[in-house]
Amino acid sequence: MSNRDTFSSYHPAVNMLYFTAVLLLAMLLMQPVCQVISVVSAFAYSVYLNGGKAIRFSLAYMLPMLIMAALINPAFNHQGGTILTYLPSGNPLTLESILYGISAALMIVTVITWFSCYNAVMTSDKFVYLFGRVIPALSLILSMALRFVPRFNTQIKFVAHAQRCIGRDTSSGNIFQRVRKGIRIISIMVTWALENAIETADSMKARGYGLPRRTAFSIYRFERRDLYAAVYIVVCAAAIIAGAVTGALYYRYFPTFRMARDGGTIVASFIYAALSAMPMAINFREGRKWKLIAQRS
Amino acid sequence: MRKHKNKIIAAVIIIAALTAAFIFGGRYSSPSRNAQPSAAPGAEPEPVSAATPPTEPSMVIDPETGKDKYLTDPVPEGKPLPIEPQDVTLGDAEYTCFLSVKCDTILDNMNLLDKEKHELVPDDGVILPLTEVTFYEGESVFNVLQREMKLNRIHLEFMNVPIYNSVYIEGINNLYEFDVGELSGWMYKVNGWFPNYGASRYQLQPGDVVEWLYTCDLGRDVGGWDSVNGYVVGADWLEEIGYEEDEE
Repeated sequence: MSNRDTFSSYHPAVNMLYFTAVLLLAMLLMQPVCQVISVVSAFAYSVYLNGGKAIRFSLAYMLPMLIMAALINPAFNHQGGTILTYLPSGNPLTLESILYGISAALMIVTVITWFSCYNAVMTSDKFVYLFGRVIPALSLILSMALRFVPRFNTQIKFVAHAQRCIGRDTSSGNIFQRVRKGIRIISIMVTWALENAIETADSMKARGYGLPRRTAFSIYRFERRDLYAAVYIVVCAAAIIAGAVTGALYYRYFPTFRMARDGGTIVASFIYAALSAMPMAINFREGRKWKLIAQRS
Repeated sequence: MRKHKNKIIAAVIIIAALTAAFIFGGRYSSPSRNAQPSAAPGAEPEPVSAATPPTEPSMVIDPETGKDKYLTDPVPEGKPLPIEPQDVTLGDAEYTCFLSVKCDTILDNMNLLDKEKHELVPDDGVILPLTEVTFYEGESVFNVLQREMKLNRIHLEFMNVPIYNSVYIEGINNLYEFDVGELSGWMYKVNGWFPNYGASRYQLQPGDVVEWLYTCDLGRDVGGWDSVNGYVVGADWLEEIGYEEDEE
């Protein structure tokens, strides 16, 4: 099940701008407060969009990855001024390497979670709408490639079932027979994928995709609320970048952990939270509006 | 199963051949070394000094490469030969030597050092002043450095390098190799001489003076250029790169 997402109904350019800003900031800014804000917002939005699937995915993949990365870093990285103890190899285990490991792991998890939101919001028609003119070939390949993974998954199930009907599935026989049957299925899938790609390309060509004067119907209009949202995103991102440049969001992990802790940091963190929580805030406001209308009538 | 018998046998034979190659491959040089005893006649029967454990300090030079098993050039005459740490049995006898750790060359190159690391460089460049330290019979320069750094709560990171049969000191006090330009790193000096082999292979003698120095210029600025680049001026590699000695 998934909730009604108002942010998805905004103009694709606004969606794209938002995810570009949020992803770049999540990747480049390893300031711990900002990271926590970003991961919480991304997780909340992802759960809002994808429901229980997002929670299951986070528990099954994100949490182990977080723990693994946080443990692996101190095993190989021995920098840092605060020596906690010594590892069996003789090298020191430092507080800073643990902190950096957690931070790096958090960054990966944040970026992946933001991308899961991106996938739900930026459907391929939005993507092609935005980039179909500028880079027709690349945007077609991208949207085809992204679409390919779920299609391949569906098709491989069909093929496996069909093979099973004639007694050639991978669940019976000794290991060599199984491998042979598995390879057969893969071979069918490769043929199907190549043929399918050519067919898609041909049909797109036949419809005149990428021709100079071709127009395309689209349901997107750049309204006043899109302008406001775009300005909001740009102003917030600019303020955060200004905060990072002027030192309000200063942080370092090595040789000792240190971060700026003044009024500027608090302001910058609030702006970061305002940007990260924007889609959820829009959805919340929209929900209240609906409630008000429902009460009045 | 019978259908695939030949394939299985082929796979087993290939794996056996690879395993044999892996196990015996490393010893290809040993017969040639035995066959040419003239390669290192001078080093073999050297008498053992009383203080060292019963290991013969010897350096077997491969005539093909001109280096020993661990890629070390011949040690200059009169200087101690490397002693492999795996051959040493540590004793209980206590001795003392002197140890110091300095990074004063960084003071002239502060602009190359990351700003966050400026605070790590002491004003006089001395991380550990020359102190008398205890070591146990058979210990190497590295053993003493590691123990003293632990005792003084100074950060030390090292890496084992099997082909040189020694550790490599990556960083002391969070000052790492390459922190001050790409020619920078840690070097060590014993009694005024920069050994041309790793610190794990230098066995300490009582009263030795060990200095760990940070170089910003591949040893040139601390006087250890030779240990990195070979002692013999006019060696083959110098001619190869077109180096000519100044005639004055």
